[in-house]
Amino acid sequence: MKYLIHKYIEIYKGFFKASLVADLEFRFNFFLLICAEFVWYASQLVIYQVLYRHTKLIGGWDQKQMQVFMFLALFVDSIYMILWDSNFSKFNDDVRKGQLDLLLTKPVNSMFMTSSQKISISHIPCFFVTFSGLLWSLNQLPEFSWIKILWLLIMIPSGLSVIFCGRFALNSTALLFTRADFLQYVWYSLFRLGLRPDGIYSSLMNGALRKILIFILPFAMIASIPTRFLLDAFNPGLLIWALIMPSILIYLTNKYWKYCLKNYTSASS
Amino acid sequence: MAFWRKNLAFSQLAIVTNLEYRFNFFIDAYLQPLITVGIEILLWIAIFESNELQTLGGFTKEAYLAYGVWAPFLGRVAISWMYESMMVEDVASGNINVILTRPISFYEYYLSQLMGYKLMTTFLSLLVPLSVSLYFKLPVQYDKIPLALTLVFFYLFLLHTMSFIVSSIAFFITKVRSFTLIKNLSLFVLAGELIPFDLMPPLLKNILIALPFSSGVYIPVAYITGRIDVQVVMGGFVSVAAGLFVLSILSYLIWKKGLSEYTGTGA
Repeated sequence: MKYLIHKYIEIYKGFFKASLVADLEFRFNFFLLICAEFVWYASQLVIYQVLYRHTKLIGGWDQKQMQVFMFLALFVDSIYMILWDSNFSKFNDDVRKGQLDLLLTKPVNSMFMTSSQKISISHIPCFFVTFSGLLWSLNQLPEFSWIKILWLLIMIPSGLSVIFCGRFALNSTALLFTRADFLQYVWYSLFRLGLRPDGIYSSLMNGALRKILIFILPFAMIASIPTRFLLDAFNPGLLIWALIMPSILIYLTNKYWKYCLKNYTSASS
Repeated sequence: MAFWRKNLAFSQLAIVTNLEYRFNFFIDAYLQPLITVGIEILLWIAIFESNELQTLGGFTKEAYLAYGVWAPFLGRVAISWMYESMMVEDVASGNINVILTRPISFYEYYLSQLMGYKLMTTFLSLLVPLSVSLYFKLPVQYDKIPLALTLVFFYLFLLHTMSFIVSSIAFFITKVRSFTLIKNLSLFVLAGELIPFDLMPPLLKNILIALPFSSGVYIPVAYITGRIDVQVVMGGFVSVAAGLFVLSILSYLIWKKGLSEYTGTGA
């Protein structure tokens, strides 16, 4: 086991070095990629800034509470972007051009290989900026208890598991249909659910929709519920769910990945 | 005549290529618009219900639902990810050599394909916003849709010219994916897909409407939902034409310079 962990750490170090070299090769592109991310994050923040010009509360949260939510959502997103997004974005191309076969023959876990080969260095500045934004927004809250920030050590990995498994499962579908590029746009649409506070869904369908977004399609676990751990009273039920959910999601994703691999006919000659 | 036949052939090529993988096409034409529309509707219903609001920025819930249905739909039409990536790839990889030897320009070759593809997906996925609007009895003036779509398709010329500029930059800088990202993310805001301009401060709203990018989403959606009159739509045509004029000159200069510096290799 110790050997296995060491092996994966070494592989990951190699991936990081290769990604750093590749990203810094085209420096102007690298700089503009960072700018693009800031445009995206700014646009997400602007939505609520504009809406709060017309209303005092959205989903039960005032503007300061919403800032905490948004910065937390963007912080989680930046981690996801650094670790996995560039791999998932090129996955469909790999399937179509037959390059996936090469990855599958490597003597490492195929899920790890297909999801972690490329690390997006250009998103690292976003990680620091969004984290600073989160700290700033928490500082704006009157009487915020800073010890609560430790909840994020459990809640952020839990939220990341939702993004990882959701995106991985959608990508796996490409193995069944050879070309499914547009599934990634479906993901971007679904991900919007995670960029909205769960409170806005409380008044719909007697709160059933909110429960669906926590327990069935758990997009609320990405940032909404973690924000509640910072802003509201402790909820033991949700903590247990945040601990159990990643295992369930990873188990199901692994099963689905294996099913798709079994039915994969390979596009290369 | 030969000009039209040539361009029509490339439009058909785009349609056939995209229909080859039907599952992928089904996602693009139906599934993704349906999900996006559903999520937008949820957001606006939730904002109004959770605050028990009657109006927001002077407009009712139904007006925002109509915007939430039509803005993502037109936003998908008025954006180019796939063809811009292909154009950039052609220039960066040298595949452009094949097109340069053909009796069609690089600009035309991809414009015909873009138009063919957009026409097909728009026509087929129009069913989604139409049926949702009818089901929810949204304040949509259906007789205004043809003019609104005409403006969006006119705007596609401007959009394609921007893609042409980005791909021409690939003559000088091999990696230009960042340009596509910045451009498309900026258009997401400037076109009005992100949030209706009606909620913005008046001065900013007027500036954004005056820019040609608003003709991609805000102006056509506002027109069919009765927020603006036909004069603003005509202003949109003028603004796009002016933008097209400026960008055409710019694209011509970049293309000429890029081509003169380009060395095509390969058999």
